Amino acid sequence: MTTGSPGLRPVTFPAARAARGRGAGAEARARRRDGAWPWLFVLPLLTGVVLFYVWPIIQTFYFSFTEWGVFGGSSWTGIDNYVRLVQDPQLYLSLGNTLLYTGIVLLGVPIAVYLASLLNTPGLRFASFYRVLFFLPYIAMPTAIAMVWRIIFNGDFGILNYVLSFAGIDGPYWVSTAGFATVAVAIVGIWSSIGFSMIVLGAGLKNIPTEYYEASELDGASRWRQFRSITVPLLTPSIFFVVIITVIASFQMFDLLFAILGSQNPILPKSMSLVYFFYHAGFVTNERGYAASIAMIIFVIIGLVTLLQFRLQRRWVNVD
Amino acid sequence: MVLGVGGFLMAFPFLWQMIMSLSTNAEVQSVVPHFWPAELQWDNYVEVFERLPFLSQLRTSVLITIIRTGAQIVLCTLAGYAFARMRFRGRGIALAVILSILMVPSQAYLISQYQIVQNLGWLNTLIGIVAPGLFSAFGTFLMRTAFLNMPAELEEAARLDGASPVRTFWSVMLPLARPSISVLAITSALWSWNELLWPLLVTTYQEQMPLSAGLATLVGNKSTDYPVVMAASMLAMAPILILFIVLQRRVVDGLAFSGLK
Amino acid sequence: MHKTTSPGSARRALLGIAGAIGIASLIAGCAGGPAQPTGGADYTPPASDLAAEITYAFWDETQRAAIEANIEGFNEEYPNIAVNLDVTPWEGYWTKVQTQASSDTLPDLFWLNGPNFQLYASNGKVEPITSEVEGDYIDPANYPEGLVDLYNLDGVQYGVPKDFDTIGLWFNKAIFEQAGVEVPTDDWTWDDLSTAANGISEALSSQGIYGVAGGMDGQTTYYNTIFQAGGEVVTDGGKGSGYDTPEAQAGIQFWTDLIASGASPSIQQLTDTPADQWFTSGKVAMYYGGSWARTAVKESSVGAVADVAALPAGEEKAVVIHGVSNVVAANSKNKQAAQALQVYLASEKAQQQQGDLGAVIPAFNGTQQAFADSYPGVNLQVFLDQTAWAKPYPVSKNGGAWGAVETALLPDAFSGAVPVADATKDLATQMTDLLAKE
Repeated sequence: MTTGSPGLRPVTFPAARAARGRGAGAEARARRRDGAWPWLFVLPLLTGVVLFYVWPIIQTFYFSFTEWGVFGGSSWTGIDNYVRLVQDPQLYLSLGNTLLYTGIVLLGVPIAVYLASLLNTPGLRFASFYRVLFFLPYIAMPTAIAMVWRIIFNGDFGILNYVLSFAGIDGPYWVSTAGFATVAVAIVGIWSSIGFSMIVLGAGLKNIPTEYYEASELDGASRWRQFRSITVPLLTPSIFFVVIITVIASFQMFDLLFAILGSQNPILPKSMSLVYFFYHAGFVTNERGYAASIAMIIFVIIGLVTLLQFRLQRRWVNVD
Repeated sequence: MVLGVGGFLMAFPFLWQMIMSLSTNAEVQSVVPHFWPAELQWDNYVEVFERLPFLSQLRTSVLITIIRTGAQIVLCTLAGYAFARMRFRGRGIALAVILSILMVPSQAYLISQYQIVQNLGWLNTLIGIVAPGLFSAFGTFLMRTAFLNMPAELEEAARLDGASPVRTFWSVMLPLARPSISVLAITSALWSWNELLWPLLVTTYQEQMPLSAGLATLVGNKSTDYPVVMAASMLAMAPILILFIVLQRRVVDGLAFSGLK
Repeated sequence: MHKTTSPGSARRALLGIAGAIGIASLIAGCAGGPAQPTGGADYTPPASDLAAEITYAFWDETQRAAIEANIEGFNEEYPNIAVNLDVTPWEGYWTKVQTQASSDTLPDLFWLNGPNFQLYASNGKVEPITSEVEGDYIDPANYPEGLVDLYNLDGVQYGVPKDFDTIGLWFNKAIFEQAGVEVPTDDWTWDDLSTAANGISEALSSQGIYGVAGGMDGQTTYYNTIFQAGGEVVTDGGKGSGYDTPEAQAGIQFWTDLIASGASPSIQQLTDTPADQWFTSGKVAMYYGGSWARTAVKESSVGAVADVAALPAGEEKAVVIHGVSNVVAANSKNKQAAQALQVYLASEKAQQQQGDLGAVIPAFNGTQQAFADSYPGVNLQVFLDQTAWAKPYPVSKNGGAWGAVETALLPDAFSGAVPVADATKDLATQMTDLLAKE
């Protein structure tokens, strides 16, 4: 069902607010199909969001134009922070690292789609068991898990390099070499989020009517054909959701990097993610105004990327 | 089979973690990995209870998780439905605002939220810990997607029958959303369970802290007793694991698309 | 499918938010500026029946038992003062304290360490102990001098150390025996170390064993060698960088040479696996480690064959000393009670208790015997003896900023990728700029 684009009517905002509430008059009801109900549905959430999230964003936006003292007190500096930011090589470095990380983690999405469909085959033995196994990483306490992975990635004595040596590959120092560190963290990123993606995709798969599969089988379609022509296209809304969330989460990556590399790791400056760049400015070097400007830039970047995805969505996402 | 290999890869670090939790610190720290401890050190698990007020922290974690998950389910489902299926002025802006909060680094909120909570007098209270997390942009987006996926015919049929929007929502659309609500419940529960920094900031009494914070106190500045941390982590994971095992059946058994009949 | 968020509506949303800035700036402007250090009223011990509830914040869970014992003793004098212990893990402690300081909800008594002290003191968040000293309730002469100076800013003393740690040369007797090299003595020089380390590496390289391990942890490694070469890290009362001097360069070069000759694992290896892990796994014969490593070493696989010696001398003997201090928040609502606790914790009785319960080395002179005896067969006394020539950990108001530059530039100097002189020059320039901004 498609509906037209929202809100192009001449009804004004204040009028809508006035009409809010159960006692809305017939007049308001006549103006819109749904009357005041939508606002009732949305308002609790919106109030909380505005209070706890939008207000801090506004504050951050304000402070990005100041030099913000560690314990309060600020002096207006105009766009100085932004000028400095645009010229700061760290910005581009961290953006590059984040893009690399995001790209690798996105590779996990097709894997998740495939695995989810495997998990969904009717009559699969131990389906529940597999489901739990795949979801385990998502449940892990980050602190402990990062430690385990750090040990696995150890250059001289870690399991990963040990296994690689059997294939004749001389494993690198994952955690202490700039490029490889990002890859290592991305691997852990995929590992921990695949379970979640599979769950969401699994829910989406449930919504595909089995009749389609039955009909296509009657027509002699192979499993792969079914996958390509039925599963994937009908799953696109869920895939879209997973992609959006994965991208946003990847852009926000910070804790994992910190935990796996260790806070005193010399290559941290070279493998910084965008959010780590923000954290470093805000809490390590204590330049809070600058950090605020970084936060705003991150906001813009993620916003643009998401917007882009929403635009592209009409090309490939099928919605009933 | 593929799933088997995949499953093993997923579970492998946990097996390692379990082994570590039963070893001594020396064995864990040794750079050459020990695949199996010389003696199973069940003491590590006992020590977790000695070092942390485990039960009261568990209680806190459970309370936080229940409250947050419950609130998110209610608020996000309502809002998600409205965004997906209702038309109203300002819908686009409201959705953009809600989504946009996901795009700012979460650490940027910390100090502002702390001051808001402080001004509300909610420091060191359960509601202070819970408050910001009651409102989830992610959950809203998830539910919106779920409702968008549902066929419009059902809804239109209900409207034609004269049902009010609330009735339509409650009796027709909501039941169909059960699989997605389960997903929301799981993700929300997980996130609440593992959240660390915020509860740490707003509480100063150790008994009031959730398990995640308690676990972090075991990681020292200069030295860490790794096996105890691993043991604590395994213990902390257990409740959530059980929750998931229970819930995932609901996802599996969730209503498939057959509502048109 | 139609789009629910067109670029237009999203842009309008953002503009709408921007439009609220005016209000925000009015409110945000009331955040207040840095307060001046308040002299505070003169301290007098409160009446023993004073009732109060105070919060004492720290980060080390392992010291909880000792602190609880202290509090018990404190409550014998002041039974009605309830002390709530707030243990925050290290990784979150500074974020929390900073947030609390920003909104003036600091705990009544809390720990500060060297790197963070000046930031809080210079912004008026810490109550000086001037009146406590004048009233003879706390006597700074009872604690290691260099360390007391660490908690002094602009002539005002804000606290005394409650514990300290120094660095020693931990070594593995078994490896020395295997390689046929003489074990370290307390009179070693840099040359002695170098010879021994190279000897061991050559003899045992087939087993993957090295002579000595350094690393990027300044407190245990290069700060010490810089001091030993006669150099300094922060100069000029906190305004200048000492890196661009031949002495400091010699301190860095020491490690570069060891890595180059194969006596030490490479910087990359040391990043991947920290020095102390090399040692406790029996893969390195010596390493520069803190007194805090005592428990880890004792319980490790090399526990039976380990020992420790004083750090080898360069041009002079030197070692980095550091310790934590209990400070009272300037805006505390229970100042008198908090100060009473501060005084008690600094007393000989409380310090002795800390020492006996073994988690740290107490700072009060003469209470450290328990520490020295806590590892039979190992000469822990060297950690105490070295305080005679100890230099305080280098700090400034915003140490994190130039610390990050060290982490960025020094690895290349150690690995030889960049000549030490160039790297340190670069480091000094950047560091001086950052110090000027403080």
